[in-house]
Amino acid sequence: MELSLSTHDFGDHTVLEVGGEVDVYTAPRLRERLIELVEAGARHVVVDLSRVEFLDSTGLGVLVGALKRLRAVNGTLKLVCAHERLLKIFRITALDRVFALYDSVDAAVAGGVATPDQTT
Amino acid sequence: MSAGWGAARLEVSTLDNLRRPPPPGPGDRLRVLLVEDDPGDAFLVEELLAEAAAPVDLATATDLASALAAVEDVHCVLLDLGLPDTNGLEGLRAVLRANSTVAVCVLTGLEDEHLGNAAVGEGAQDYLVKGKVDGVLLGRALRYAVERKRADDNARRLREVELRQAESARLERGLLPKPLMRSAGPRIFPVYRPGRHRALLGGDFFDVVQTSPDTLHLLVGDVCGHGVDEAPLGVALRVGWRALVLAGVPDAAVLPSLEEVLISERRNDEQFATVATVTVDLAERTASIRLAGHPPPLVINGTEVRLCDVEPGLVLGVIPGMDRPPTTVPLGGPDWALLMYTDGLIEGWATPEAKERMGVDGLCRIVAGDDRSRIALPELPAWLLGQAEERNGGPLADDVAVLLVTP
Repeated sequence: MELSLSTHDFGDHTVLEVGGEVDVYTAPRLRERLIELVEAGARHVVVDLSRVEFLDSTGLGVLVGALKRLRAVNGTLKLVCAHERLLKIFRITALDRVFALYDSVDAAVAGGVATPDQTT
Repeated sequence: MSAGWGAARLEVSTLDNLRRPPPPGPGDRLRVLLVEDDPGDAFLVEELLAEAAAPVDLATATDLASALAAVEDVHCVLLDLGLPDTNGLEGLRAVLRANSTVAVCVLTGLEDEHLGNAAVGEGAQDYLVKGKVDGVLLGRALRYAVERKRADDNARRLREVELRQAESARLERGLLPKPLMRSAGPRIFPVYRPGRHRALLGGDFFDVVQTSPDTLHLLVGDVCGHGVDEAPLGVALRVGWRALVLAGVPDAAVLPSLEEVLISERRNDEQFATVATVTVDLAERTASIRLAGHPPPLVINGTEVRLCDVEPGLVLGVIPGMDRPPTTVPLGGPDWALLMYTDGLIEGWATPEAKERMGVDGLCRIVAGDDRSRIALPELPAWLLGQAEERNGGPLADDVAVLLVTP
């Protein structure tokens, strides 16, 4: 149950590459890292989930939290998610209507600002 | 990687390496730290232990500061209470703050034996009076101190587990209701199992309320995010839902109200909930289903199994006030059964070897399989849980609630 996180800049976007399993044990590290990024001034964050093998509801909660945090500072959060396995989770929870989902980092960065409905 | 990517920082999460030595076995040598500023007294302790051929590896520190630096690597500390950089029991307290699992024997002089008693009261395992011990006694005192510390720790851990279990039992009673049914109503077969890793219950919940001879209301849900507070919030949502249904609130208003309860009761705004609600018309044999981020129920008619085709609705607690329109599903023949579940049931591995999760499709295959047709409906929820665990290759990680309703 490993989680790997790596960050790099891509133009004015900050890309957080996530690998492994995001579950109740590893989600706190993802949360911390996302908070650090926003506190360090990142406003346009792309979370690349391409190498994520498993994402449970705690992980979804962290992503929802990050979305709210970024919206509060006029930032954006985009997700890169190409695997059917993960897309299914976003469809079942209908969170595919809340998150801006892209199939590659390039598409996410080029995609401009996509902001669906306002969250609480 | 394309050009323009900055330097990547890679981190891999691993458990902290535990530096502390494992408890010694009966034949192992004890690692003891002697904290003693008087070289004469220190030499005497070494000689006593050597003379008795005690199986002890002795390290020596001459003040508290250097003792604290070494206290992680030993089984037992033999602590002089008259050190230069501390006095009396302060040294003992500092040692136990630095390593709460280490055994401590204190050394006192003849005139301050009362300090030895006080030290035992503050967490030392034993005290020895200088000049009143021989090597055999000293070796034995150290060994006993380590054993006693281990027994105390085990007793404390056991007590903590008991407290957690009692807390879980209280919450479980809140999460798992007594269905509110009319006489001769439909039959309900629920199964609930807490997850493998959790100290406390998670937030899976369900409820059943029959409001008229022909109307049955069902709820299955799961509080997600931020581990610790899930179970109490699950209880709040279940009871909130039950009150709304009993008050006769129209179906369309129930989920929005439940979402308001969630938002006002949650401690952390990363928390959300998935729920499936079903209103069964028992006369018409139809089910009106609303989903909020929850996997859809299954309808079973003999060997025929259907996944209810319901438009997914957004999880509760992310964007309040979203519409979640109902889908009405025919239940089929008079022997229908409706199966509701939380995602713990389908998140396990499809096989112990495969890197695939079971998923809704896997669940449908199992329920539609030949093996299942031999299982009586009342046994089905428990049987499914067993199947999921078997395929997972062991207990499931998350909580599971499974609810089967049949007339």
